[in-house]
Amino acid sequence: MTEKDFLSKALTDIALTRRSFLKWSAALGGSAVLAGGVNYGLKAAAVTAAVGEATWVPSACWHNCGGRCLLTVEVVDGVIQRVKTDDTHEDTPDFPQQRGCVRGRSQRMQVLAADRLKYPMKRKNWSPGGGQKELRGKDEWVRISWDEALDILSSETKRIVKNYGNESIYSVTQGDVNRTLRLFGGHASGWGMTSWGTWVDTPLITGGYDVRYSNTGNDRLRLRDSKLIFMWAANPAVSSNGSPTYNFLQAKKAGAKFIFVDPIYNDSAMVLADDWVPIRPATDLALLLGMAYVMITEDDPEKNPLIDWDFLDAGVVGFDEDHMPEGSDPKDNFKDYVLGTYNSQPRTPEWAAGICGIPPYRIRSLALEYATTKPTTIINGGASTRIHNGSSTSQGFITLACMTGNIGIPGAGVGLSCHNRAGNAGPALVSAGGSSVPGISNPVDARVNYNQSWEAVLTGKYIAAKDDIRDINFQMIYHGGYITANQCTGLSKGIEAHRAVEFVVTQGHFHNTDARYSDLVLPITTQWERYGTFTAGNREALFFSSQSIEPLYEAKDDMWVAVELAKRLGVDPKEVEPFPLKQQIFNRLVGAKVIKSDGSGYEPLVTITASDIAEMGVEGEPQTGKIPYKEFKEKGIYQVPRSPNDKFGFTEFEDFRNDPEAFPRGTESGKIEIYSQPYADKVTGYGFSVKHPLPTYDKVTEGYEDTFGDFENKIKGDYPLQLYTIHYQRRSHSIFDNVPWLREFFPQEFTMSPSDAESRGLKQGDQVLISSRHGKVLRRVHITERMMPGVVTLGQGAWVEMDEKSGIDKAGCTNILNGGIYTDQGNLGFNSCNAQVEKYTGPINLEPDHTWAQRIIIEEA
Amino acid sequence: MELREWALIAYSVLAQMSVGAFLILGVVHFAATRKAGMEEADRLSDRVLVAIIITLGLGMLASLFHLGSVANAPSAVTNFATSWLSREILIGVVFAVLGIVFSAMQWFKLGSFASRRVIAWITAVVGIALVYSMTQIYMLPTQPAWNNFATPITFFVTTLLLGSLAIGVALVANYAYVQKKNPDCADVQCELLRYVTRWIAVAAVVLVGIELVVIPIYVAYLVATGSAAAMASAKMMVDPYSLVFTLRLVLAFIGAGVFGVFLYQNATNPGQEKMMGYMAYGAFALVLIAEVMGRFLFYATQRGVGLM
Amino acid sequence: MSNQLAFYFDASACSGCKACMAACKDRSDLPVGVNWRKVFQYGGGGWVPDPLDPRYTLPNNIYSYAVSVACMHCENPLCADVCPASAITKQADGTVLINTDLCIGCRYCEWACPYGAPQFNEGTGQMTKCDFCVDLQAQGLNPACVDACVMRALEVGDLDELRQEHGSIDAIEPLPLANITKPALVVKPHRHSSPSGQGAGRINDPFAEEV
Repeated sequence: MTEKDFLSKALTDIALTRRSFLKWSAALGGSAVLAGGVNYGLKAAAVTAAVGEATWVPSACWHNCGGRCLLTVEVVDGVIQRVKTDDTHEDTPDFPQQRGCVRGRSQRMQVLAADRLKYPMKRKNWSPGGGQKELRGKDEWVRISWDEALDILSSETKRIVKNYGNESIYSVTQGDVNRTLRLFGGHASGWGMTSWGTWVDTPLITGGYDVRYSNTGNDRLRLRDSKLIFMWAANPAVSSNGSPTYNFLQAKKAGAKFIFVDPIYNDSAMVLADDWVPIRPATDLALLLGMAYVMITEDDPEKNPLIDWDFLDAGVVGFDEDHMPEGSDPKDNFKDYVLGTYNSQPRTPEWAAGICGIPPYRIRSLALEYATTKPTTIINGGASTRIHNGSSTSQGFITLACMTGNIGIPGAGVGLSCHNRAGNAGPALVSAGGSSVPGISNPVDARVNYNQSWEAVLTGKYIAAKDDIRDINFQMIYHGGYITANQCTGLSKGIEAHRAVEFVVTQGHFHNTDARYSDLVLPITTQWERYGTFTAGNREALFFSSQSIEPLYEAKDDMWVAVELAKRLGVDPKEVEPFPLKQQIFNRLVGAKVIKSDGSGYEPLVTITASDIAEMGVEGEPQTGKIPYKEFKEKGIYQVPRSPNDKFGFTEFEDFRNDPEAFPRGTESGKIEIYSQPYADKVTGYGFSVKHPLPTYDKVTEGYEDTFGDFENKIKGDYPLQLYTIHYQRRSHSIFDNVPWLREFFPQEFTMSPSDAESRGLKQGDQVLISSRHGKVLRRVHITERMMPGVVTLGQGAWVEMDEKSGIDKAGCTNILNGGIYTDQGNLGFNSCNAQVEKYTGPINLEPDHTWAQRIIIEEA
Repeated sequence: MELREWALIAYSVLAQMSVGAFLILGVVHFAATRKAGMEEADRLSDRVLVAIIITLGLGMLASLFHLGSVANAPSAVTNFATSWLSREILIGVVFAVLGIVFSAMQWFKLGSFASRRVIAWITAVVGIALVYSMTQIYMLPTQPAWNNFATPITFFVTTLLLGSLAIGVALVANYAYVQKKNPDCADVQCELLRYVTRWIAVAAVVLVGIELVVIPIYVAYLVATGSAAAMASAKMMVDPYSLVFTLRLVLAFIGAGVFGVFLYQNATNPGQEKMMGYMAYGAFALVLIAEVMGRFLFYATQRGVGLM
Repeated sequence: MSNQLAFYFDASACSGCKACMAACKDRSDLPVGVNWRKVFQYGGGGWVPDPLDPRYTLPNNIYSYAVSVACMHCENPLCADVCPASAITKQADGTVLINTDLCIGCRYCEWACPYGAPQFNEGTGQMTKCDFCVDLQAQGLNPACVDACVMRALEVGDLDELRQEHGSIDAIEPLPLANITKPALVVKPHRHSSPSGQGAGRINDPFAEEV
């Protein structure tokens, strides 16, 4: 979508009507030269009010970035000209527009990209059973018809189920085709938290807040009451692009001090930081324990109160020996653990400093500042717990917040605050209803942790639970929207696994990693090519988008594929798709709810008339709501207006804090259990690690200690650097990686500190080989003092580009470096990885990413 | 360096060489007339004049390759009011036209000697104006590597240095032609040739001397001004262009200095014409390479201030 | 009222996200390599032994901030002066526009502009640059970049009015000194920014940095 389109658009007729001429003359001071048709390189479309009709269609920005903002496209004569973002109301800090980010603004370049998958394809050297499986990832492709594609899909599915059983299908599409497979006997699944680290099971500790909705801390207006905000492993300017950083800026303007705890001086720190505490990745628990030690030893309720004993007494179990649960050993309490009363290691600041890299005096001052400033919020990004052996880390954060009493009071908080709840916690004020499509349960209960999946393919075994190792025989991998191959750990082994099974199929938009290592690739429509969808970027706004273009080439909906497969497998397509998408959308409109202005409950959002229903061609009853259907469809957004002190403020744990008796938590004791046997049992029960009920320090696999061959004597090992993998502006995870604009803006640099670079003889922009215990990648180095020494970073989500000869990935796909390691809650530990870096002297010459050829496999027919 | 930048190097070197050659040829013709009369002077120089015009034409053709939109080229002379580039293009066109007119008049002996002399003088002045306007193009406040004394000095030195050595070569070639065609005047022509060549050798030594002094001072000046852009330009002379920078000076020294001395020696007495010829070609070739390298550095080490 | 349209840029709010770059490219159909608006970060600082505990290293004045620059539509546009084809003209409202009917693609304006505003489009063989979204402004709308900014760091308005509201700083590192071309720009400095010519940092954005 570059020169060709620019030229063809420039050649579009410009019919200058008298009215538009006059408008222009006025704006340009009556320059008569205009009449001569002077061309300032202006967009033809902008002048075509007189020619074609321009319609603005709210279109989805549907990615998993936590932003999901309003995107509207301008359609002229069936061609999308440009996009714009929210301009549906005046923009104020209290009632901000839902503005899209650099990726949303580039969305046109993605949906209409020249490298969109156009036709179904099969691998040239494939035949039933796999053919030349070793050529997956480096084979040629043949265009086939949908009929042939679906026949291949159904016959391979049938054959594999017949020979190996339904468990042999590893389906990680997270899409509609699972419905069909479940009717056909089911499929094995993957599991394991990619995004939110070890916060998943922490509701067992806090009793009831559901991390999947990230209801932690305060809403964005109450956040302005914070005196101190720790941005802990948090970088909303990159990871939750859109409103969140703007909201944090308002808190700063209201007087909040910002301290960033992060291995790098990140982009959010650029805007907000008053202070930056560099910390080694995966060592946050050490810092927390060191801070706890300071608070415990220096607390004096009269002269120097650091600990909120009243709250601990009323609301917390496990802090000291007087507050331990029934059946536990009173000596096994948090306070004595930290002091080392009954164990050999007091968690002093000195001890903590040896792990996290922060000087002891600084650990002490942080502890004192946190303990004596109220209200203080800790905004946790997921990054600090996206590690191995991290269950105690999330537990530690909650513990410290309880100790200081910075929980449950407006402006105070702790916990995951990211994605669509970054800095803005609370139940959704407006939401769509359900589609009413009944779920289909999966007859197969085999679930393999993502960290172990590729190993399971190769060894035939997986850990189902503690002391429960089972056999598994994966012979078919089905990829879809979850982009499992590129986005899960252990891709080096993953490639081997993909070449081992009998059949691999991918459905999607581009020839990404999953498609590349497949036998069969199916082109799928984007949300712009479908009837409509709902998305929500934060609790205050609901987006309703509509179709803006016809499906490109032969792309089909995921549901269509599921239905066609159902027909061929002999299961009931009506059960797969009980009613069409527009009926589902209608049902969601009917069920859409918005909070009442007095905050007392919810009411229907949309007014739907009988003529609306007839026009949509669906079944249903008219109803009254807050806004008319047509207006909602045209605007594409409903946003709840907010103002300070309105009824929609939220502080997690507020009721409980005010009255623990009347509002007990959902734990056995009704209190927050920082000593939690259920938590320990659950984590241990996964079968990967043994967890203590307290937030005890466990060495992190491939954390700081593993950079040493001999930690005691401080002798570095073969992989002396800590690698952590950040969200990267070019992409939303792996999406957008192929857009040339974005490749130019964000070149997928590998970031190192000057001292580490100098000791390796590296200069700015040199090609460097980065290796871990699991694989090697090649990138150009970006040397910056913003990176702390001993730590390196690379953006996650690049599509692997394996140089077959050398076994080196040229794109910098972080999952080549991350290994499939399973610990604790089975979460993916992207941020605990050890690496070595050296100047690359081999034959590969990396051209800038934006000059790489687009993956256009089959040319336009 | 892309095609368009090579086009600029080719154009500026060829155009400056043409102007220099025209000026030098004028001086040569004047001196030769005084020494041996108009007919011999014409025989010495008329063919060379045509060669100059052809060289200028090639240079101007090369300049078109540096444009992105050649179709709009005619509009390039319209901003005479504020743009030195517009002025340079216009003056260049005028110089070419005058040059062609004068060559035609001289070749076909049209018009009186006096009128031809007037045209010649005007053309010469326009030629100097052309080189001057070329220097002014680069006097941008945003380009510290260019916006200083070195640009006009080196441009004019290039003009005269390449001009003189080119004339030297052209005269040698012309003599070979005349000797074959017209053996009677060979002695007179040879005497004139040696006479002129001695002066060209002197000029070359003096001019390369200026260059070898000015260029190091220029680099030191860039470092002394302290601006980040100027420093960056100075650094580039060392990394990555240290080889080009050194070679450019060495070749200029050998070509104009060493060869120039030998040229003078071989032009002193009759009988050494062959060696003199080799020296003339050698000097010109080496200096041409050196000047092209120098112009290459001029464009390659440019660094604008601010955000360029 | 100065009859000079100008941009206001709040460096203290900019998060360097480049949404404005994408919005501009999208509205103007720019190819890869032509960015009428550019965002890059500038910073510096280093690491020193911690004076309070030399076993550890401490960040010493490590800072970074982003600048978002398009065409400055200067009051003294060098580009317009030097263009041989008279293709660059200053309009009555202060906008500086390139007329692609006249441009010969000689790139002289590229040498003259210290903001990198005129950029060569390989496809068309001509220079192009920010045109202040004249078509959008004619419809009473803001330039695409202004409405795109997620941090609300960009505004457009009359130069005098912007100066009254936001002050008259028009040059911070890494922008050039304003006395060269007199940019129609008002900047709110970042807490770590220095005036142009006085900074000790460097452009450290992988998009634009020196290698």
